Amino acid sequence: MLNDYRDTIYHCLKCGACRVAYRVYEPICPSGIKFGFDSYYAIGRIGLARALIDKEIKIDSNLMRRVYTCTSCGACDEQCHDAVGIDPLQIIEEIKYEAVGTGMIPPEVRDFLKRMNIHGNPYGLPTKDRGKWAEGIPVENYSNQEYLFYVGDVGSYDERAMKIARSVAEMLLEGGVSFGILGDREMSDGNEVNRVGERGLFEYMAIANIQRFQEMGIQRIITLSPHAYNAFRNDYPRWGGKFDVCHYSQALAELLEGGRIKPSGKGDLRVTFHDPCFLGRHNQRYDAPRTVLDAIPNVKRVEMERSRGDALCCGGGGGNFFTDMLGTGERSPGRIRVREAIETGAECIATACPKCFNMLDDAVKTEGAEDRIVVKDLSQLL
Amino acid sequence: MENRDAVKREIESIVGSDNVSSDAPDLIPYLKDSYSTMMGRDIPLPDFVILPKTADEVQKVVQLSNKYEIPIYPRSYGVNIAGSALPYRKGGIVMDLKRMDRILEINEDTMTASIEPGVTWGRLRKEARKKGLDIIPIGGPYQTSPVGNHLLTNITPYSSKYHCDRAVTLKAVLPNGEILRTGSWASAMGGDVNPYFRYAYGPDVTGMFRGSMGNFGIIVEMVERLRPIAPLETNITLGFDRLADCMKAMQAIERLEFTRTCQAYNNIMTAHMLLAPHKIKVPTEKEALLKKLPPFQMNLGLGGTDEMVALYEKIAVEEAAKWNGHPVIFEGDEKTKLDQVSEGASRGIMNMYAPLSGFAAVIGCLPITHVAEINDIVKDIVKKYDIQDPISGGPQEHELIVLPYDRCSTVYVEQEILYDPAADRSTLEPVMQCLRECYTQLVGGYGASHTIPNKTLMKMMVPAYADILKGFKKMVDPKGIMLPGGPYSLE
Repeated sequence: MLNDYRDTIYHCLKCGACRVAYRVYEPICPSGIKFGFDSYYAIGRIGLARALIDKEIKIDSNLMRRVYTCTSCGACDEQCHDAVGIDPLQIIEEIKYEAVGTGMIPPEVRDFLKRMNIHGNPYGLPTKDRGKWAEGIPVENYSNQEYLFYVGDVGSYDERAMKIARSVAEMLLEGGVSFGILGDREMSDGNEVNRVGERGLFEYMAIANIQRFQEMGIQRIITLSPHAYNAFRNDYPRWGGKFDVCHYSQALAELLEGGRIKPSGKGDLRVTFHDPCFLGRHNQRYDAPRTVLDAIPNVKRVEMERSRGDALCCGGGGGNFFTDMLGTGERSPGRIRVREAIETGAECIATACPKCFNMLDDAVKTEGAEDRIVVKDLSQLL
Repeated sequence: MENRDAVKREIESIVGSDNVSSDAPDLIPYLKDSYSTMMGRDIPLPDFVILPKTADEVQKVVQLSNKYEIPIYPRSYGVNIAGSALPYRKGGIVMDLKRMDRILEINEDTMTASIEPGVTWGRLRKEARKKGLDIIPIGGPYQTSPVGNHLLTNITPYSSKYHCDRAVTLKAVLPNGEILRTGSWASAMGGDVNPYFRYAYGPDVTGMFRGSMGNFGIIVEMVERLRPIAPLETNITLGFDRLADCMKAMQAIERLEFTRTCQAYNNIMTAHMLLAPHKIKVPTEKEALLKKLPPFQMNLGLGGTDEMVALYEKIAVEEAAKWNGHPVIFEGDEKTKLDQVSEGASRGIMNMYAPLSGFAAVIGCLPITHVAEINDIVKDIVKKYDIQDPISGGPQEHELIVLPYDRCSTVYVEQEILYDPAADRSTLEPVMQCLRECYTQLVGGYGASHTIPNKTLMKMMVPAYADILKGFKKMVDPKGIMLPGGPYSLE
């Protein structure tokens, strides 16, 4: 309950450290950058939390529009934790949880949850289509192979992400990795359901997944999406789901280091890596994707100023990929990120997350920058 | 507000509809800071919060506010914790200036930066260093605004080499809607070519805005002094058992005019700065650190060639030894943090506030002779009101910082009393009373506060002084629209 965080809320110094990446002194909150008012930054959301626990205001959909633009990127936690000692994201997500309980959530969030509840995926598409991405490549269904390759919602249904799923699978096959997929038996990991505060549904989904994995004898999982990686690694153990989880970037890095896959690149390419929030900040995994890029002979890697723990979120987390609460516009974080990438002189933004890929790919088009920069997944660069 | 919708439409036509809000969820975050919590003061909802982007937009909004007599409450980057940026009167416009974030110029010849109010110290440092210049260190953290920070206070750990006030010239929108430029910038003919000289054309009008707490107008652009970066810059720490010895050593060293920065702390302050917010809550961590630290220490920033720095360090250590002082060696994270604090605009300074984010600052500027005395006075008053340490629950020892001005002719002394903002009013009330008594005794008996006097302190000023401030306020703000109702309001 939000009241359980009363002391933390009152201990907010209102210093604004949550707004700025201190190592590079640049703004870091995607919703704050987009909208500008303090209510869209952690500093303001904690102010709203305080007004809620002091009963000065009630949760309503107007208030929650401010809260649901939070992408759960964790930048505020990263900045505040060692400065003042607060984890603002916990409080923000607690507000979301309470809002779900009252039903006072924006219609976009409600519709997302409805699709998850009814269809088991955010697209409202049939479960039987989940394995279609693998058609035409020799990927087997899981049957006691060493790894489960877990693809997730976006990789299963989104056209661009399906291509990424295929290229990752092809790399794993080339590297001789023993893996299988669940295909139409795969169920959503639920990370975004959790992030928008529907913890009851998330628990149901998590337990269902855990049971399925355990029944099938799955112990080791490679995920396509950092969001699934985060859920499996950090949340599922709560319900007995203890699996050995890695993100595909880690698997690829290991294969490259072992010489089991050999990258082939043509022509020189300056590439900058966009750290996905749920791989980077939430799980402190920054090196494997860079190891992959550094192993590609034609790639010259350059860093954006806001990178690693200071990476600017693409705007796709916290359910925003499906709810689009952030909207578009010049101040949208995806477009800012593309401009930042172009400033490095990079010709390519490398991603390791299907959501980041889509967000940034769309942003490149909106920026009219297709002649200057492209977005590629790590596996596609290999 | 009458005709609220019509006023909103006018504001939207100035700043754009995306940059004005009258929704309660957007207004509420602007209502509280540490001050309002401690004082138990409820701040009413303003009518609007706006995000202007240009000086022209600010001027137009101020003119509109004059037309409708709407109070304005401007804030630069919005991290003020002293109650000076809260919207005290119901209705009104909160003017959030963080979108005005351009660094307009960094001039290597004049060693200045021309900045808007939404620029932070951290960003200014980053850009200045690209041109071989740096900010003049201040005590606030990196995410504060030089415009807001400098004009609010002169807390600065830098040395007698630099005058204490780094604002050069200003461009302000006065509350009556006119544009004012100060110093050499005041010239309508050549001011744009040379806004770099503060003491031009008579009295120091830039100085009227320093410490004015926003009463006299909204700074939309400021020329800020920078400093050159020395070939070698380093920091040393000297420890003392007695505060009086530390102060004597500070006086002697500062009169030799070689330090880049100078600041003194008591061990409580140092311990709070060095322990990250989570470690401070572990009693054994703080106890272990306090055992290592001398009761008082002085951090000196030194800069120059290798030979110069070696010589300065030798001199500093020798001077300190005359007053029973000795070098204190810090390593690793501790050294990094202290260096950052010494260099100013740091993240390390956050830890000073962080134990529980509640701190009541007793601030005075006075001759160095009285520092030990006022330190004891505050100790006695804290004991009198039985102010507990909010973490340990035991008796509180307050934090102490001393910063010299101008070769130590006077010093800035800040004493922090910590409290838990989550505590109930019966716990916060004695803290407030303790703070009031400290101020009454210190400012009444010893020294000056550096900001515009609050209403209580104004009664202690000679009448002519108060008349001048209020007269100036009346002249530039005839309708009383700028920051009315606050503790520092010149009404």
